Amino acid sequence: MNHNSLAFRLFAIATAWTLVVLPMAGLLIYTLYRTDTVSSHDRRLRLLLTVIRADSVEHGGDEPGSPKDAGEPLFTVSQSGWYWQIKPLDKKPGRRLVSDSLADDTYPLPSEIGISPGDNEERWTIVPGPNNQVLRVVEVMHFFGEGADAKRYSISVAGTLAEVDRSLSSFSARLIQALALSGVGLLFVTLFQVRFGLHPLRQVEKSLAAIRAGNATRLDGELPAEIAPLQAELNALLKSHQDVVERARTQVGNLAHALKTPLAVLINEARDDPSPLAEKVTEQTQLMRDQVTHYLNRARMVANVGIIGHTTEVRSVSDALSRTLQKIYRDRGLDLEIDCPPELRFRGERQDLEEMLGNLMDNACKWANCRVRLVARSLLNGSAHNNLEILIEDDGPGLSAEQLGEPVQRGRRLDETKPGSGLGHSIVAELAQANNGSFERLRSELGGLQTRLVLPAV
Amino acid sequence: MRALVVEDDKNLNRQLVEALTDAGFAVDSASDGEEGFFLGETEPYDVVVLDIGLPKMDGLSVLEQWRRQDKKMPVILLTARDRWSDKVSGMDAGADDYLAKPFHMEELLARVRAQVRRASGHAKSEIECGTLRLDTKTARVTVDGQPVKLTSHEYRLLAYLLHHNGRVVSRTELVEHLYEQDFDRDSNTIEVFIGRLRKKIPPEMIVTIRGLGYRLSPDGNES
Repeated sequence: MNHNSLAFRLFAIATAWTLVVLPMAGLLIYTLYRTDTVSSHDRRLRLLLTVIRADSVEHGGDEPGSPKDAGEPLFTVSQSGWYWQIKPLDKKPGRRLVSDSLADDTYPLPSEIGISPGDNEERWTIVPGPNNQVLRVVEVMHFFGEGADAKRYSISVAGTLAEVDRSLSSFSARLIQALALSGVGLLFVTLFQVRFGLHPLRQVEKSLAAIRAGNATRLDGELPAEIAPLQAELNALLKSHQDVVERARTQVGNLAHALKTPLAVLINEARDDPSPLAEKVTEQTQLMRDQVTHYLNRARMVANVGIIGHTTEVRSVSDALSRTLQKIYRDRGLDLEIDCPPELRFRGERQDLEEMLGNLMDNACKWANCRVRLVARSLLNGSAHNNLEILIEDDGPGLSAEQLGEPVQRGRRLDETKPGSGLGHSIVAELAQANNGSFERLRSELGGLQTRLVLPAV
Repeated sequence: MRALVVEDDKNLNRQLVEALTDAGFAVDSASDGEEGFFLGETEPYDVVVLDIGLPKMDGLSVLEQWRRQDKKMPVILLTARDRWSDKVSGMDAGADDYLAKPFHMEELLARVRAQVRRASGHAKSEIECGTLRLDTKTARVTVDGQPVKLTSHEYRLLAYLLHHNGRVVSRTELVEHLYEQDFDRDSNTIEVFIGRLRKKIPPEMIVTIRGLGYRLSPDGNES
């Protein structure tokens, strides 16, 4: 994920929030649970203390009596962690009573370690007990006897905190698990939310890439309300850009075409004049003419290539060209043969195909003795993108092996004896390339040149 | 041989007229489509050089209307638009040839001559009749290999007869095909030129068919 992205920002915020909130929530839940557990433990101790005190008072007189039923079986199990003690205070002799579980052991009393009484005169603390037990102790003072003989006794109950600790640690373990799980869950949800929420933007990105690649001319699709205005603006911008380009292209075309007539005048004016100036004019006008042709073709090529949805029937183009060429070369008695399945379609502009086939067929007619043949067929290459192959050949002199090996060059004429600008093959090569196709020159079995075009098919 | 030039650019129009005149044609010219159409409709031209981009009426419409009226003279289209689709639509509209601007005048003249020859049924650029020989490329006339010097009107007359040799050519037809539109026509001048021609080539070759016209014959036979 790119650091400078909306997705990252949203994800980072969600992550930070999760990382802060989940531990805080965990701490709060843990504290509440602990308070609850401890206070429930304390309630139990207070209850036991109340019972023991009442029992002791009931069975005693001036001295504390031994409580009969403390209501807790663990008081009778040795070192169970649950104990009670009744002990005379103020260093006066008196009866000391302890639970069976305590036997000969003892535990420090809160009053002895300086804990001051709280509510209900109870003193609460935590002390070490026998066997390294940690005990929660509650102690109250009680006077046994009357008047001056009255003696102050400490009645205390102690309960081990082991259970509480166990419960707390098991709770916190489960709590951490649950929180971690929900944290991970939240992150996944956030990730999904970000992906789903930003999906339209991704769509826009793809559409823009398609526009740049020339596969689309506008931003299509139903976009959410937040970016729909952006879409509308972008489309308007694209439209105006296309209009500007179109206008510029039209102007270039008009300029180039407008130049052709004056060029014709110049060329012909200089033709009969033997002066060096006329020679220079002839030479330069020839250059200008080639340039005009070249850039007109370029401008047109850029305009047309890559616009989706255009398909062209190869058959109708080759038939129209054959009709025209047969008329142009009718004196030559050429046998112009077209072998092309009617359903074969080129994925591209009609004009491009016309230019490519027109130039190649015209060349073939120019050089042929009597036969020109065009064979077109589909090349199934197994993938989604099919190609078609067009072979144009003649029975003329053809090209030598070296000439066939040479790359196609602009303005390079392989034979100067026939009219032509030398732009024919280079235009075809450029057009083929611009249409994701290829062009090559081979030797024909008819004896002359064979040109081979491979172009994308529908 | 009469030629019509329809071209709106004044300079190019002038050059075309000059070049065609030099090549032995009687040339008329028009600078817009309507005028061109009218001339082509009313005058019997042997060849037309027609620009496509014309004011008032474009060249393709002019051509289509001529063809609809069964005007069969050869038409060579001139155009700045040289895409193949333009060529196809030009030829489909009834053109006989197509030349993209800018062009060399020699190229145009070669095509004009080729169209004239084809229209009169001659495949080669040299037309022969017995010992008489016309090279249409160079406008040279020879008898037995010896060059014959001709004035432009004499050349036009002989070239027309040679292009149509084997058939009788009426005096009216000759007048119609030898002079520009605004030329002061007098059919008597034809007789004068025939007389002059008979002094430069074997006289029996031009046979006078009474009441009909003239016929070129290699041996002087009337049929």
